[in-house]
Amino acid sequence: MKKKSFHKKTLGMAAAALALTAAVSAGSALAYFTTYTQAAGGAALQLGFAQTIPLEEVDNWTKHVTVQNTGEVPCMVRARAFTGSALEGQLTYSGDNWSPAGDGYYYYSQVLQPGETTPDVLDIQIDNTGMEEDFNVIVVQECAPVVYDGNNQPTGDWDNAVGTQEAQGEEAGEG
Amino acid sequence: MKKMKKKKLTFLTVPAALLAASALLLAGSTAGSARAALTYFSEDYSAQVSISRIGVSLEENGEAISSRDYTEDNTWAETQGVLFSDLFGEEGVQLGRPYDDTITVRNSGDIDTFVRVTVTRSWLDGNGNKDTSLDPDLICLGFLEGNGWVLDEGASTKERTVLYYTNALAADESTAPLLDEGALTIDSSVGSKVVQETEETDEGTLVRTSYAYDGYQFYVGIEADAVQARNAQDAIKSAWGVDVQVSEDGSTISLQ
Repeated sequence: MKKKSFHKKTLGMAAAALALTAAVSAGSALAYFTTYTQAAGGAALQLGFAQTIPLEEVDNWTKHVTVQNTGEVPCMVRARAFTGSALEGQLTYSGDNWSPAGDGYYYYSQVLQPGETTPDVLDIQIDNTGMEEDFNVIVVQECAPVVYDGNNQPTGDWDNAVGTQEAQGEEAGEG
Repeated sequence: MKKMKKKKLTFLTVPAALLAASALLLAGSTAGSARAALTYFSEDYSAQVSISRIGVSLEENGEAISSRDYTEDNTWAETQGVLFSDLFGEEGVQLGRPYDDTITVRNSGDIDTFVRVTVTRSWLDGNGNKDTSLDPDLICLGFLEGNGWVLDEGASTKERTVLYYTNALAADESTAPLLDEGALTIDSSVGSKVVQETEETDEGTLVRTSYAYDGYQFYVGIEADAVQARNAQDAIKSAWGVDVQVSEDGSTISLQ
């Protein structure tokens, strides 16, 4: 019995010593050189609503249209005139940085900042030849949030156009 | 009687030999540590210490904005900066506009390393708290692959992207750019997501419309990890828990 106890004791000590040795060796094996660093950043979005109003002067059968951004964020604007069928094809548009896009609207190519009015005027000349009755020429303008296309050029998000407002003028045709 | 004596001697010899072997191994490993400690602290061996310095720096447009390097004083030298601080100007973030930002990782230590990056994207509300109801995919980051960077699809999620640089970096060497040109874009559809609240008043129903993302901050975090290039397979497994294959010359790794 005594012999067995001694045997167990020595074997236990040997096992403990081996385990300690193994643990020390394992500790060395895990000592790899590592490091890390990190950085973060971002920016807050300011997404106020765009709002615009048309400004219009009329002389010599020509409407001189400008648009003012009265909203909180930059926007793009477009405008067009609506008339009765009697005047169809008798309106002539002109103005620097205003260009048609095939949908009847004329688009201003520059971003309009809050508080800013389009420096370039859209002139809509009315050819009233042969018109005897009074007629209306209604100018409609819209604005849209600024987005950037794949070429990093600003454009309007016209699917989300807002703030349609009308500038209306009644004209009398010459006899 | 003589026979019994011999048997007893044999019985004692085995554990004694085992104990002696263990003691020797233990002493050997302790001596190893002591030697390492001596090398580590001794002025005579300072040159050897210096070649074991590891370091990593995160660079934005060629400038280190964040780093953590082991120094000759046996301390960590750390710097931490802010990403995108000069990117948007006074006009702020424009939706849909692609922004150029060159992100690279540099080996700012003295030993060759392998590096990986973990990029996280999220939206923070006005109080700086993460809002998981908003879509991280609307923070668009165009990662470059094929120039040394490899995406770890298994470890990546909608919010987190993990990429490994497969080439070992020598001291002072930088990775290829992590992001493509114009790679940072806030998707323009952010501007079309609105929330409406209705309120019954004496004059009728009042509908308030506001942008879902108005006042929110997009957040991008980048962590760069570096590990020694020597014994890369074991070192990477130990440090990052990832199995990699190392080329014969030890200069590249590939994910398994």
